[in-house]
Amino acid sequence: MVRAENMPETTSNRAHERRYETGELVRRLLGLAWQFRKDCVQALALGLALLLLALAGLQLLGIVVDVIRHALDPSQRAPAYPFGWTPPASWTPLQAVTVLSLAIVAQALLRAVLTYQYNMVTARLTQGKIVPDLRARLYAKLQRLSFRFFDAHGSSSIFNRVTGDVQNTRLFVDGVVLQGINMLLTLVAYLIFMWRIHPSLTAACLSVTVGLWWVTHYYSGRLRPGYQQNRELYDDLVLLFTESVRGMQTVKGFAAEPHQVRRFERANDRVSDQQRKIFRDLSVFTPATQLLSQLSLVILFAYGGWLYVQGQIPLGGGLVVFAGLLQQFNGQVANITTIANSVQQSFTAARRVFEVLDTPLEVENKPRALVPSRLRGRVAFEGVTFGYLAGENVLQEVSFEAAPGQVIGIFGLTGAGKTTLLSLIPRFYDPQGGRILADGKDLRDLEIDAYRRQIGTVYQESFLFSNTVSANIAFGNPHATREQIERAARVASAHDFILSLPHGYETVLGESGVDLSGGQRQRLALARALLLEPPVLILDDPTASVDPKTEHEIISALREAMGGRTTFVVANRLSLLRRADVILVLEKGRLAHLGRHDDLARKPGPYRETALLQLMDLAEDGDESEPAKLRKRESRETTQPIMNSEARR
Amino acid sequence: MSASASGEPAGKPADTGKTANPVKDSVFSAHDQAREAITYFRPLEERESDYAPLNMRLIRRMFTYTRPYASRRNWLFALTAARGLQLPVLAWLIGQTINGPIAGRNLGGILLYAGVYLALVAAMVVTFHFRQLLALQLGEAVAHDMRSEMFRKLTTLPMSFFNKTKFGRIISRMTSDIDSVRVAVQDVAFVAIVQAVQMTVAALLMAWYNWKLFSLMLLMVPVIWVINQHYRREVSHQLRNLQETWSRLSSTLAESVGGIRVTQAFVRQEINAGFFRKLVNMHGENNVGVAHATAVFLPLLQMKSQLFLGATAFLSGYGALRWQGSLHMEVGDLVMFFFLANFFFDPVQVIGNQYNQALTAMAGGERFFRLIDAVPDWEDAPEATRLMPNHSQGRKTPDSASAGARCEFESVDFEYQPGRPVLSDISFVAEPGQTVALVGHTGSGKTTIVSLLQKFHLPTRGRVLVEGRDLAGVTSDSLHAQMGSVQQNNFLFAGSLLDNIRFARPEASAEEVRSTLRALDCLDLLEALPRGLETQVGERSASLSLGQRQLICFARALLVDPRIVVLDEATSAIDSVTEARLQRALEALLRGRTSFIVAHRLSTIRRADLVLVLEQGRIVERGTHQVLLAAGGVYARLHEEFVRGGAATTGPEFG
Repeated sequence: MVRAENMPETTSNRAHERRYETGELVRRLLGLAWQFRKDCVQALALGLALLLLALAGLQLLGIVVDVIRHALDPSQRAPAYPFGWTPPASWTPLQAVTVLSLAIVAQALLRAVLTYQYNMVTARLTQGKIVPDLRARLYAKLQRLSFRFFDAHGSSSIFNRVTGDVQNTRLFVDGVVLQGINMLLTLVAYLIFMWRIHPSLTAACLSVTVGLWWVTHYYSGRLRPGYQQNRELYDDLVLLFTESVRGMQTVKGFAAEPHQVRRFERANDRVSDQQRKIFRDLSVFTPATQLLSQLSLVILFAYGGWLYVQGQIPLGGGLVVFAGLLQQFNGQVANITTIANSVQQSFTAARRVFEVLDTPLEVENKPRALVPSRLRGRVAFEGVTFGYLAGENVLQEVSFEAAPGQVIGIFGLTGAGKTTLLSLIPRFYDPQGGRILADGKDLRDLEIDAYRRQIGTVYQESFLFSNTVSANIAFGNPHATREQIERAARVASAHDFILSLPHGYETVLGESGVDLSGGQRQRLALARALLLEPPVLILDDPTASVDPKTEHEIISALREAMGGRTTFVVANRLSLLRRADVILVLEKGRLAHLGRHDDLARKPGPYRETALLQLMDLAEDGDESEPAKLRKRESRETTQPIMNSEARR
Repeated sequence: MSASASGEPAGKPADTGKTANPVKDSVFSAHDQAREAITYFRPLEERESDYAPLNMRLIRRMFTYTRPYASRRNWLFALTAARGLQLPVLAWLIGQTINGPIAGRNLGGILLYAGVYLALVAAMVVTFHFRQLLALQLGEAVAHDMRSEMFRKLTTLPMSFFNKTKFGRIISRMTSDIDSVRVAVQDVAFVAIVQAVQMTVAALLMAWYNWKLFSLMLLMVPVIWVINQHYRREVSHQLRNLQETWSRLSSTLAESVGGIRVTQAFVRQEINAGFFRKLVNMHGENNVGVAHATAVFLPLLQMKSQLFLGATAFLSGYGALRWQGSLHMEVGDLVMFFFLANFFFDPVQVIGNQYNQALTAMAGGERFFRLIDAVPDWEDAPEATRLMPNHSQGRKTPDSASAGARCEFESVDFEYQPGRPVLSDISFVAEPGQTVALVGHTGSGKTTIVSLLQKFHLPTRGRVLVEGRDLAGVTSDSLHAQMGSVQQNNFLFAGSLLDNIRFARPEASAEEVRSTLRALDCLDLLEALPRGLETQVGERSASLSLGQRQLICFARALLVDPRIVVLDEATSAIDSVTEARLQRALEALLRGRTSFIVAHRLSTIRRADLVLVLEQGRIVERGTHQVLLAAGGVYARLHEEFVRGGAATTGPEFG
């Protein structure tokens, strides 16, 4: 992406980041969940139902064990049915067992069905609703943001915002809110049930659980920055690799293979060394959690066994169930840390997502903005002053007027403000001082899109999409007819080479498509600009990066294209400028000179200097005194009319 | 699997897959909607396969990477076996405790069992620690070595490889393919062992206790296996759909970001936004599709243990209460099976998943080894020797040029592909210190000639000689060490300007760099940047203008004090004033060096010692500018084109 030379450079992505308070983030994210509250409630209800089923299953199993034992040995404790329910006395133990077994199976089936429901509800909510909606909103906003935003943040950051960051933002809804509430309910429920079996046993086992939680918390605090650093190191490694492949010709051409290999090895070693640090922590952390879980089981059996011997708790309904509950409880504890991490992740991502949504638009329509009819093409700058940053003006008090159909050349050294001036014409920015008029109306009064459709633009290195040639030309109007497309291509002198392509107008450009030469690309860009037959044409140094032969092609194409349109052309080559009706010479943001080529070539200044240099380039052999020729011509100046736009046609 | 968690396909969505999704295709076959698309979408792109069958030779080869770490690996095998043993034994112990001392109300027994349990747990934890540590270390070591080997291999391959291989493919070798082999080495083998041992031990224990109950369990195993495989197949089908929409989405997004200026200039915001909304909705649907596959199968699999317990409860009830004799079952068996059952069922699933992982690793490994084994189209001959530099010891400053090398092309023919000649019968001599300008239309062979000179390719016929020596017998890197080139694409690496300029000579001091820049008369231009020579060159050198990039490339080429200079003048993005300075400086710097310039500027051509005019791969004219102009042939015609296309301001004299 080529930027204006004066656009402020940012060295880090954080330079423009808005500060978001945690409270605000939480509020907005909760608001996101609230937006879809019906689905959230549904998910929570299903989660609760599943929880109850799980508990029921455990209970049933415990009861079966007790029923059987009691039947075999009536001296054993009688099974404790929940809710004081007792099976009818007419049932034999076997019948009771049968019923209970069937109940277990039924519970299992019901659980499967509800689990399916739960997962589908969650998936539809997150991937089917939240994520697409957020992404579409982000994208729509991005399409309208100023170029300044894109240059400040870099394309991969913006790409990640729409992709990964949106997913992590949505994580707040399911990973934090839903999971959090679910986990809370689960923990409470299990706690209650364990307590009901025996309070002090619960207390004893849970003492270990607290330790478990602490260990998890501690280690994830250590591991998280480690993982982050590792990602960065790995990204560096991949970047080095990618660059070496892309620039392999350069690498080989300078016999720099050993150098690159050394750099790669170093980066590779860095990644591995850092991984080893992570491994050390990880391989202590996981066994530690296992140790603690098992410890709680030991306590369970030692103390619980003693309680059973004392007759305080049943075997099946007591110990076995308790063991199952404890296992589940410990499993949930690990979830706490996962949820905490999800919170962090979602906050980081949400900041980046909200930043895009909150960035104000650079230019907006006034209420009741005027939709212009077809412009005649009279453009005027009245005392325009503009700067990207406050206090640093790139353009100062620039005033000029372009009559309809005129060709306005813009010349200046690097940093003089040429591209900036051009970007004010389609109103990509508003000037701080002065105003810009189109057909006598202030741009700020016009409806932006309708106005911009009347301007065709060709940039220095025109961006073409990986699409068919006709789709690229029809970019401004996807519904353009074939005739319209071909007409634009003909005017841009592109029609012939397009027909020579493998599939003509349906040839696909891009990485796996056809690669075009610089001149062909620019001519396509020109055709694209001409499709809507705009009354105003903007050309930002269209021949900057092409060789002279291609330049020649482009200029011939331009000749026809410029007919009847008000054209603004930035150029360093006299080949383009000498055809202009008026040339604006910019010096450090000010309009230093204004006039036709011959007038300017006579006045001392950068224009004359450049003219001389470029003429020397074409001087006839041996005769280095091209300047002399110029002076010779000046002396026999005739009233030869300068070609103007009417005569060009 | 990260796919279902994050909703995005794991790894880079480098390749898309075929899909026969009629709904999707119809949305995009309608004329208007296709027109709204930013990128052209091909539903049938060639795709690299996800799976490859298990192959013992390949597996053995992957494991050779563990040979330097043999002791670690062997310990790991022992530890995983031990671990596989420990967990079921622990579960068995619990069951024993419940059925034994607890049921028998033996407090002393309870404490004893608890003590044994604790000891076992301690052993298990230690085992687990080492097992995990060693596995991770092994995996990382293997990945490290593979990355290193791959990079080295790449640097030995000739340019023809890079010209014909897709960039994205090379990258995914390094990232996803190496990763899947790492996972295979680190996880698949060892996890499979743990699971297999666990399953065996649990099976033995349960069978010993009650083989009737156990045979019931056995019946469920094939069912689980079938369901698991079905599930994985369905999920991977859904995943392919997902990858396809992801590919559309990401390419549209990427090009939207890159083409934002064009988008706003042509008022495409609304159309693009509407189209993108359709894309994300489609992608969301596919995501839900993946979730659906998971949501159907996973509960089915989870249900197994519950179902089994229900059945067991019933049977043991029957067995305990009704049946006597041969079908008698202890209620304690139920308790035991409750703890051991999962150790038997879970491995079925886990091994199933590991199997699929192994298949992926096979595919990745195959691709990786194909690259490692790639035979370069050509290599420096084994007897090739170094091209000796001509100048004396010690580096000279760039001002004092070293004696240039004599270069000669002797009846050289070249074709990139057989039957399509690009160069025919090229012969010329460039004496040391001469400047040779190559002119001709695009495609006439200019770039190919300098490419052959740099030994990026070998001539099909004829010889290229430097200092009288056939390049075929010269090592490529000794040749490159004496050449400096500035190509069309002005490629710069991430890093500071300083680092880029001394790319070929990293040991050069900052002072040497400065003096080179001074000699090129552009030091002030670069030092005027915000951070001067320390300015970081970013993603694709985007923060520099084209002109600045070119200057850096010039400096880079000249810092090495080359005897041969290759220069492609195609771009001229510098403003005329700077360009003039550069031209003057270059003139001085190139003195004494043999230079080959693909020339576009008249001033360059005029000053060249030898001008070669190329047309369709042949030299049609040669000589100095004056001679050729006077001859009035092809060159004279070209010259007129140059002049006409340029800024001729004087009217009638140039017609």
